Amino acid sequence: MNKITIGLPKALLYYKYGDLWMTFFEELDCDVIISPNTNRKILEDGIKLSMDESCMAMKVYMGHIYYLIDKCDYILVPRLKCIKKHEKLCTNFSALYDLVNNVFDKNLIHYNIDVEKKEDEFYAFTTMGLSLGFPYRKIVSAYKIAKEREKMLKQRRIDKQKTILATSSKIKILLAGHPYNIYDEYIGKPVEKVLENNNIEIIYSDLYDDKYLEKEVVKISSQNYWTYNKEIMAAIIHYQDIVDGIILITSFPCGPDSLSNEMILRKVKIPITNLVIDETNSDTGILTRIESFIDILEERRKTK
Amino acid sequence: MNAYLGIDVGSISTKGVIIDNENHILASSYIWTQGNPMEAVKTLIHNLEKQIDKKKVHIIGVGTTGSARKLIGTMLNANIIKNEITAHAIGTLSLYPDVKTIFEIGGQDSKIILIEDGIVVDYAMNTLCAAGTGAFLSSQASRLGVKVEDFGRIALTSKKPTKIAARCTVFAESDLVHKAQMGYQKEDIIAGLCKSVVSNYLNNVGKGKKIKAPIIFQGGVSKNIGVKKAFEEEVGCEVIVDPNGHLMGALGVAILAKNSPIKTNFQFSITDNNFETKGIECNKCSNHCEIICVSRNKKLIDAWGNRCSNGDIMNR
Repeated sequence: MNKITIGLPKALLYYKYGDLWMTFFEELDCDVIISPNTNRKILEDGIKLSMDESCMAMKVYMGHIYYLIDKCDYILVPRLKCIKKHEKLCTNFSALYDLVNNVFDKNLIHYNIDVEKKEDEFYAFTTMGLSLGFPYRKIVSAYKIAKEREKMLKQRRIDKQKTILATSSKIKILLAGHPYNIYDEYIGKPVEKVLENNNIEIIYSDLYDDKYLEKEVVKISSQNYWTYNKEIMAAIIHYQDIVDGIILITSFPCGPDSLSNEMILRKVKIPITNLVIDETNSDTGILTRIESFIDILEERRKTK
Repeated sequence: MNAYLGIDVGSISTKGVIIDNENHILASSYIWTQGNPMEAVKTLIHNLEKQIDKKKVHIIGVGTTGSARKLIGTMLNANIIKNEITAHAIGTLSLYPDVKTIFEIGGQDSKIILIEDGIVVDYAMNTLCAAGTGAFLSSQASRLGVKVEDFGRIALTSKKPTKIAARCTVFAESDLVHKAQMGYQKEDIIAGLCKSVVSNYLNNVGKGKKIKAPIIFQGGVSKNIGVKKAFEEEVGCEVIVDPNGHLMGALGVAILAKNSPIKTNFQFSITDNNFETKGIECNKCSNHCEIICVSRNKKLIDAWGNRCSNGDIMNR
């Protein structure tokens, strides 16, 4: 049997489950191709292929699919409806598969999660593996290995951040937001670059041990049902006493963020600023905002 | 005597001051940028040069702020380049040490700066829209056949300001035309426009901010007495407009240049040099960054705009 090539678009949920997906396919001896970091061509292609009202992260995603379209046999486009009981994800995550399917003529892999219908992650992986023709036992063992590797890699990154928090004397800023915004070359990276040029230690909201999530998130809101936004809120509460300030990154026009950002901005006790990024942004406006935010943090440190 | 030069290059106007060690303004100038910051700065420096005795005053520090701060900072070899929020706060604090809130409405942007115990604690800038800024007011003035400078004076004569929908420039404009066609008086429409600028500002930039007195109002629009009055009615306390309000950014960055440990030896003859900018498209990767190259007398002195090291023209 010829090796199957799987395409993973480096956007949206790749930044959450990329390690998991990649290890799984490698364990099944597939070739995996990951699209490169977002560049201007990817962004422009994505804008052309999207509705005007889509959020910037979705537009970027479409650009990544377009990049992969003639480079692989299948593309993994997840359909995530609910990953935690009584909670919700942005509707875009459940619409993603059908959206992509309508725009592109390409083999997509089924990967559905809706825990309220008893379709959990394990179910998603087994149906995905079976649809590609792999034997059940091999799929299960690949999933286990992938799950362990994912956990190990995340723990390693969290530990690294812990060391930085304990040892660095630089001004620390928590970059808070969805990982697909924070780490995207055209959404969060310009912010990260300005911070690095100003000698700021960057702390990331997704590098957070969610053991205490439920306990910490209620300090902002007990009635928030957006799973991914709860993670951001909990991380903000967790880190707010040990960082100097928080930059909240949102891609325009994000629905869940518009609700949860309001709650965050009202409850947080340290300097916080919200940057809303869209594809028509120039870096200049961002630069002015970040620089003045850093000035505020520096002055606060001096007076302490 | 040692002195310091501060220049604030905004989208519409370019401001400059020279100060001494006690922050006294020795010379100041305020001119239009007219889309050409480099030429504007040359004119500005000539204006400043005429106001001082060059034999006695030696400029040992140069600071730039405003949207063209980097370009002009490179051109003048400035020892400090600072964002306009910090510059405005420092400038204002030097004259009003107790200030708690700064309203600023400029040509293209508007901001609010909140200060506690002499340090900036919060700020906001307009994000997606420029409704209610100077550029909007001048376009509406010309639509009504009124000089923008007379706007405030005319607004004060109104007894019953007309309500104008000001959430968005486009709506405001069509509402304004509608109200004029309905037969509302010009002065009432103008006063309504001033009110709408204020409510737009307080609902966008000022949203959720705790506004405390003393309040200083600056930026080009602060010269409009109608807007000042509308602000006072809305916030319920005095809003101070300093006659030098337009110079606060330049003053602030001059003070920062004074406090900076780095010193320069500034010569007015710098304007005799031939400065040029050129935008080139980098084709080294699919980002196609537009890189701005600044040259002095045909010699490249700085470049920026590249996202990655492929476009790092300076270090090649």
